[in-house]
Amino acid sequence: MNRRELLGVAGALVSANVWSSRSAWAADEIVLGAAVPVTGPYSLSGRLYYDALHLAQDDINAKGGIGGKKLKIAFEDTQSSNTGAVNAFIKLRQEYKPPLMFLSSYSTQNLATSPEVIKAGIPVFYAGGAEAVAEQHNKWMFRIRPDDGLVALGMADYVKNELKKSKPGVIFIQNDFGQGAANVVIDAFKKQGIEAAGAEGYGQNDKDMSAQILSLKAKGADSLLLFCYPTDGALVAQQIKQLGLNIPLVGSSGLFLPTAINLLSARDFANVWGVIDAVLDDSAGARVKDFMSRYQARFKREADSYAACFYDAAMIAADGIAKVGADPDKLRDYIAGLRGYKGLAHEYSFDQLGNGVHSVSVVNMKPGKKEVALVKEVKPPRH
Amino acid sequence: MGHLLQLAINGLALGSVYALIALGFVIVYTATGVVNFAAGEFVMIGTFMAVTSIVQAGLPLPVAYVATLVGMALFGLMFYALIFLPLQRRPVLTVIIGTVAAGIVMQNTAVLIWGTFPFRLPSPFSDKLLIIAGSVVPLHNIAILVVTALLVVGLYFLLYRTALGSSMRATAQDTETARLMGIPVDQILAFTWILAALLAGVAGLLLGPIWFADVNVGGALALKAFAATIIGGFGSVPGAVLGGLFVGLTEVFGASFISSTYKDGFSFLLMLLFLLIRPQGIFGERIAQRG
Repeated sequence: MNRRELLGVAGALVSANVWSSRSAWAADEIVLGAAVPVTGPYSLSGRLYYDALHLAQDDINAKGGIGGKKLKIAFEDTQSSNTGAVNAFIKLRQEYKPPLMFLSSYSTQNLATSPEVIKAGIPVFYAGGAEAVAEQHNKWMFRIRPDDGLVALGMADYVKNELKKSKPGVIFIQNDFGQGAANVVIDAFKKQGIEAAGAEGYGQNDKDMSAQILSLKAKGADSLLLFCYPTDGALVAQQIKQLGLNIPLVGSSGLFLPTAINLLSARDFANVWGVIDAVLDDSAGARVKDFMSRYQARFKREADSYAACFYDAAMIAADGIAKVGADPDKLRDYIAGLRGYKGLAHEYSFDQLGNGVHSVSVVNMKPGKKEVALVKEVKPPRH
Repeated sequence: MGHLLQLAINGLALGSVYALIALGFVIVYTATGVVNFAAGEFVMIGTFMAVTSIVQAGLPLPVAYVATLVGMALFGLMFYALIFLPLQRRPVLTVIIGTVAAGIVMQNTAVLIWGTFPFRLPSPFSDKLLIIAGSVVPLHNIAILVVTALLVVGLYFLLYRTALGSSMRATAQDTETARLMGIPVDQILAFTWILAALLAGVAGLLLGPIWFADVNVGGALALKAFAATIIGGFGSVPGAVLGGLFVGLTEVFGASFISSTYKDGFSFLLMLLFLLIRPQGIFGERIAQRG
């Protein structure tokens, strides 16, 4: 093939790609993208909001869609890697050119995708908690969960002022989320004149954390703070009991998600608290109860706060498109200007860094049972 | 003292699991010359067979354990027939890559069958704890040590005190000569894979109650067991056991006294050192090439 022929083929391929992506939307539909983990370890959370987005799509269409047009959410699997997340985003962008997308709940993936979001110039909702994501000042990114800094401040406050402990130990999963949250909480303790007993990390695939737990015990920790995902959090909670430690454990939201709760016994939750996104039980209102029961009936598993916040994000997106149209700049301005939007999981007001949620809930389990009970809702002042 | 003892027991329990998987590596390698990189997924399948029999079918524990091991034996036979046999005459590297591919298929099949959410398996010892010299030790961890010791003794007896074991060792030394001597080589090879699967099944039954049944558990296990095999000496049964215990203790003590952040690195660093300084491992014999 000579150069002219090669250029001709290349040109035909590019034209076909442009034409096919322009025609990816049907005339009567609006397509949004969702790059979420459906396989691999991240899918433990990912499947929950993957299903929630499907539910939201169907609920919106059942009410006539958006401005008479059907909503379609196109999905790509980010798997459990940053490369997967970036590729999924790019593929959705190229194939559908959506005016808005949903990213995963994993900060490491959100950070990796951020440069592509800027290139795409479309607003995205994400649920990773690391402060580092917002600190990139990417005007297109909007967080739909409390950031880890807020959670860490809430944990530090509760350990010091309510549990009255003065030598906390910190255990964290070694990634952007865990390390970042651990740094924030240690810093928060320092500002209150408390020196942490120590901080021990563990890898995502680690199954035995006894060395870390025993190390903190040997350093005299009188309480443990845990930044975790569901499965590893359940392992740590179980191993703490197996090692005979009877000190309070305060965990991040992963420890109180249904995935973790199903792995632990009521005894494992004794002397355990959580600082989590939200409590979704009957006390949260009729809308939440309806969502939870419909989710359970359709997907045969319990929804959690991640599912609820992605459902909320889809509703915000639909409202925004209905009000300002599918132009990414206008959508971005609409979301940035949102104040006091009452969703299922939270009340959303997006600040300059794109953080939409500003409160967390302290919870524990009802004694002898695996039922989450709200202890108090807190709004830690941001540092 | 109590702290050290707790760490030692946990390290030995962890190392025992690595040792069981490393034994699977060794017996397959010595019989076939193949490094089975799906060994970790064998353990994962073992834990999920236990999920099916204990959690989903609700069988009494003794019955469920037998059912799991029978299932694993059949699985080992299936692996021999579908993966090893078709690739047997191919170069060793092809077979090894075949086991890697098989491991990926196994993991994804497990996701399709059991889903991505982990399961908790009950321990026959419930949550019982022992107090030994001021240390709190889960009874289940002691059971892991005891069961592994019994299996190692049993395996040694099989390999060195029975006709079957002699046939296995003869097949490992020289397949063609063994065949000429009247040893049913194909049946011996099939039995080797079944035995490896059974060892993995036992490892899965021991691990499930403490680590949960998780489709993602296989990869990390296989790598640690591989390091144990290198350290102990490829092809050596006592080496696999010692290597596994060594890796478990290194991990736990390294995390406790040096750095939890780099604890995985300690085992692999040791493996690299052995490869550089003593590549045959602790018990392996140096094999000289004849001119």
